Amino acid sequence: MTDEKSGKVLEVIKEFANIGAGSAATALSSLMDVELMNEVTSCSILPMSKVSDWLGGAEQIVAGTYTYLCGELKSGILVVLPRKSAVTLLEHLTKEKVDLASLTEIQKSALKEIGNICLCWYLIAVSKMIDIDMIPAPPDATVDMLGAVLDIPLASLAQKVDTVLAVHTCFKGIDEEFEGYFLMLPEESTLKLILERMAGPRG
Amino acid sequence: MSEPHTVGIGQMAVCHAPEQIVCLGLGSCVAIILYDPVARIGGVAHVLLPKSPIKCDSEGKYADTGTRKLVKEMLNHGAKKERLVAKLVGGAQMFPNLNLSIANIGRENSVTIRNILREFLIRIVAEDLGGNRGRSAYFDTSDGHVTIRAAFEPVKVL
Repeated sequence: MTDEKSGKVLEVIKEFANIGAGSAATALSSLMDVELMNEVTSCSILPMSKVSDWLGGAEQIVAGTYTYLCGELKSGILVVLPRKSAVTLLEHLTKEKVDLASLTEIQKSALKEIGNICLCWYLIAVSKMIDIDMIPAPPDATVDMLGAVLDIPLASLAQKVDTVLAVHTCFKGIDEEFEGYFLMLPEESTLKLILERMAGPRG
Repeated sequence: MSEPHTVGIGQMAVCHAPEQIVCLGLGSCVAIILYDPVARIGGVAHVLLPKSPIKCDSEGKYADTGTRKLVKEMLNHGAKKERLVAKLVGGAQMFPNLNLSIANIGRENSVTIRNILREFLIRIVAEDLGGNRGRSAYFDTSDGHVTIRAAFEPVKVL
């Protein structure tokens, strides 16, 4: 890809991700009872070895919920919450003290469900936009080092490529201290399809 | 002492004592750690997938080609094959509830590496594999010790 072309691709993908994340943040806002604001999406084409550095370091502890699309479009999608925000969110929902080191089953399940809701709203918004149904698999969640959380999402792409397009959209609480981000890792064929559809109706 | 070498996914490093090599946040990935205690040369490969395709230009990404290449690099740096010992770290199953063919790729990685090391007659002297926790491995080439940190768990030394 030439620089000019990849610049354009990144712009289109940014728009795509902004709309998805906006919809998910709205859902999360009502769940959390806080106002959330979407920050700008950033995306980058990176070698696999650099993805965790790009996201702030492999050793930071995060709560990650991951799913992948199993329809026509192929992509991994993650919702990532930093340690503190994961605790805030879980305590708000379960009304009990939360220790990330030893989550109870119900807390784990809450975490998974939050991820599920966010991911689904993300997908609903973007699938409307490009008029392709997206079918997510049931997600799974874990609290661990970011590098470890990223292994499976990266492994599912790695058979075909060495570099990935990572699309990152963060959200922040307006009053409360709360933040997190979405990470989308589309396969190349999916990326192409998204670009075609996004270019289509606009001419 | 100089800064430790950080080995990311698909990368490898070989160096002499007293340098340090680290792999951060290993999930289903495995760190293959080889050490020649006499020459005090250490090498680490951070592999992501078990088997390489027939045509492959990034050997370091796969357990089979990565292990072979690491052994070769160690010998190029002056290590002796008869003296090499191996330690393995990683290979966890991070998302056990995913219905995905690669959900337990960590195990496949470990099995592949064991088979290749057996081909080379390299002994595995210690390992911390499997489970569903991520790990970081800090390898000290001056004594061959590997310090392992995992989230919410006490530090371990192999």
